[in-house]
Amino acid sequence: MLFDSLIYFVFLIPVVLAYWQLTYRRQNVFLLFASYFFYGWWDWRFLALMVGSTTMDFLIAQKISAAPDGRTRKHWLIFSLVLNFGILGLFKYFNFFVDSFADVLATFGVHYIPIPLIRILLPPGISFYTFQEVAYIVDVYKGRIEPARSFVDYALFISLFPHLIAGPIQRPSHLLPQVQKRREFDADRFFDGMLLIISGLVRKCVVADNCALLANAAFGGQLGPPNLWVVLIGTYAFAWQVYGDFSGYSDIARGSAQLLGFHFMVNFRQPYLSKRLQEFWRRWHISLSAWLRDYLYIPLGGSEHGKWKTCRNLLITMVLAGLWHGAAWTYVVFGAIQGVALLVEHTLFPPKDKLGGATSSESFFSVWAQRIVTFNIFCLTLLFFRSTSLGSALQMLRGLFDFTWRTEYAAAFATLCVFALPLLGVDLLMEANEQEYPFAKARYTVRTALAAAALIVLVLFTGNDSNAFIYFQF
Amino acid sequence: MRLFISNSKSPALTYAKLMCGISFAFLIALEGLSAYMLKHHSVTYRRVSQQLNRAVGARPAGPGEPASVVMIGNSLFLEGVQVDRLQELTSKRLRIYPIFLEATGYYDWLYGLRRIFRLGARPQVVVVQLEANSLLWNRVRTEYSPMLFFDTPDLLHVSSDLGLGHTAESSLLLAHWSAFSSTHSIIRTQILRHTIPHFTDLFTLLIQAQRPTTLGPDTEEVAEARLKTLRDLCEAHGAKMILLAPPVPSSENAVRKLISIAQGIGVSTLVPIDPNTLSARHYEPDVLHLNSEGAALFTYAIARISDQFL
Repeated sequence: MLFDSLIYFVFLIPVVLAYWQLTYRRQNVFLLFASYFFYGWWDWRFLALMVGSTTMDFLIAQKISAAPDGRTRKHWLIFSLVLNFGILGLFKYFNFFVDSFADVLATFGVHYIPIPLIRILLPPGISFYTFQEVAYIVDVYKGRIEPARSFVDYALFISLFPHLIAGPIQRPSHLLPQVQKRREFDADRFFDGMLLIISGLVRKCVVADNCALLANAAFGGQLGPPNLWVVLIGTYAFAWQVYGDFSGYSDIARGSAQLLGFHFMVNFRQPYLSKRLQEFWRRWHISLSAWLRDYLYIPLGGSEHGKWKTCRNLLITMVLAGLWHGAAWTYVVFGAIQGVALLVEHTLFPPKDKLGGATSSESFFSVWAQRIVTFNIFCLTLLFFRSTSLGSALQMLRGLFDFTWRTEYAAAFATLCVFALPLLGVDLLMEANEQEYPFAKARYTVRTALAAAALIVLVLFTGNDSNAFIYFQF
Repeated sequence: MRLFISNSKSPALTYAKLMCGISFAFLIALEGLSAYMLKHHSVTYRRVSQQLNRAVGARPAGPGEPASVVMIGNSLFLEGVQVDRLQELTSKRLRIYPIFLEATGYYDWLYGLRRIFRLGARPQVVVVQLEANSLLWNRVRTEYSPMLFFDTPDLLHVSSDLGLGHTAESSLLLAHWSAFSSTHSIIRTQILRHTIPHFTDLFTLLIQAQRPTTLGPDTEEVAEARLKTLRDLCEAHGAKMILLAPPVPSSENAVRKLISIAQGIGVSTLVPIDPNTLSARHYEPDVLHLNSEGAALFTYAIARISDQFL
């Protein structure tokens, strides 16, 4: 059930209406069944996998909590990590590693080795709910949270439908207490939730889906062989597509959660206004960046053990972040380039704690120059992220030295501006006002009028092209 | 709502209800407006629905009457065949019922044909004008086709044939029932065409599919199975199927292969014109669709061999 399909709202509206008629315990049971229905709508066969994985981690957390000594606790932790990453590895990376191994053998002239090749479908959302389960187990192990006593509560924490398929990856300490206590209907947050959904739909259906037309044509060859203009159109369009797509998804997820009385963390904070890559990763897919920082980078040693180990930890984290997105070398290269760029930046410009716009010492031009450089570095890495293979990414890069112009390119740039610039404008507005969505602090009448205007934009510029949310495949 | 309402007197609740009301009213208004626009202002909708209605009336010819021929195809034929001229040139032998819809492929026409047969069409000949790419497409056009070519039970079969998920299936159902759902991408395209210079040229590039230059063994199998299905469908309703090849220079080999597959399974084929006899001046800038000069030549070529229809 895609968030931008009418069928999602046919599901959501009755669920919200029925939900608020129930008592707290029944609400959780009802939402759990609704979430399983939502997941089963994709493919009911994977439901058993998710329920099995949820049950195992629920029981392991109980064992960790009840373990008499640290060694036993550690054994249960390792068992859980092996189980969770084993399942993720099998479903997501098995074919990738087998294929890569076969390629390596082939380069040495060894062909036709009977490698057990099984084609496995990727269960929807497995990367997201596995990370959430791991976070829960680690937090219980570290004593940061108490294990859930109710299976229904824990299962709902894992499978709550707004975040189930593509996050935001919720921290156990943030979401689990919300599941465990009674939710109260808050009309203000309910209204905000509706506006977040509309904002998300505009980002996805208007910005992302229209930019996707250009990005798909550039990377698919319809705009002609790669040249400077095709590469620029393709990468810029894809940059705005992926941003509109995933931030739109996150807004709809957060909005849907708010209709049910839950609060999800903000997942994007105007990332294209970042002046540094370090800052960019604190604004882009925040829930994943924070997860990687807390459960990978810091356990590896973070920046506490000298320069070289910091570099190593950063590189490992970014390469694994790349690989998390998908089982392909293009994602590994995407992560590796990001890691190297971060290392260079880390050395030249030590990290700053604050996100932010211009400091008083920085001129307007300096701020924008930094933003443009950061955005373009990200776009360069996106070229690998979007390409179907390393070969085609390199072919696109080679095209940068061909300047052949066609009149259609002007129309492509104009189309890109029509869809991307309004989102940039909205980001600037939100940055200036430090708001979670545009006009969040405006009067109700103003917000209602703007939402109605957004609905009109949505209607006029939505296509029939069925572009699934990009992050659903991860 | 039960006890959980902490601030039910907040103006937010009123505005939340207002938003719901606005959204609902908006949906109703859009649906009505889209249905009106579709029926009164959409050239494509009016053309195809009129063509469908006429084709449903196709009956076997009596003695001395011209044979009834239903011609189906996509933009290659909409642009490439001057139907009135063709009818004029062949009026003594043929009564032509064209149904052309742009950006359509095998599944659109399989179900489109089934529908007109179900509604009573009994032509003597069905001329299928699909090149290799359209025959191999695993998709249907989400505008117009769900409303014009598919009945409600067909949609489940289409979904199953295409291996669609529940979400895509429900979108297809919606596009069948709702005028707005079926047409909103057309609205977007029209706005962009009128606001961005050269958008039409760009759009032609954007929707241009990658055409196969030849058919591989796997695609040959698919093409053969699909041609057999179309042939059997036509024969079951007393019609002879003819595959008519368009002049597509970029996939000439694929078209040639398709012709040989069709002949192998006993489907009559016609190649009215050799693409090599045409030059760039006969094509639109996309070198795919014929321009008026090319269309005149192609139409005349079809008329010249039209006695082979029977």
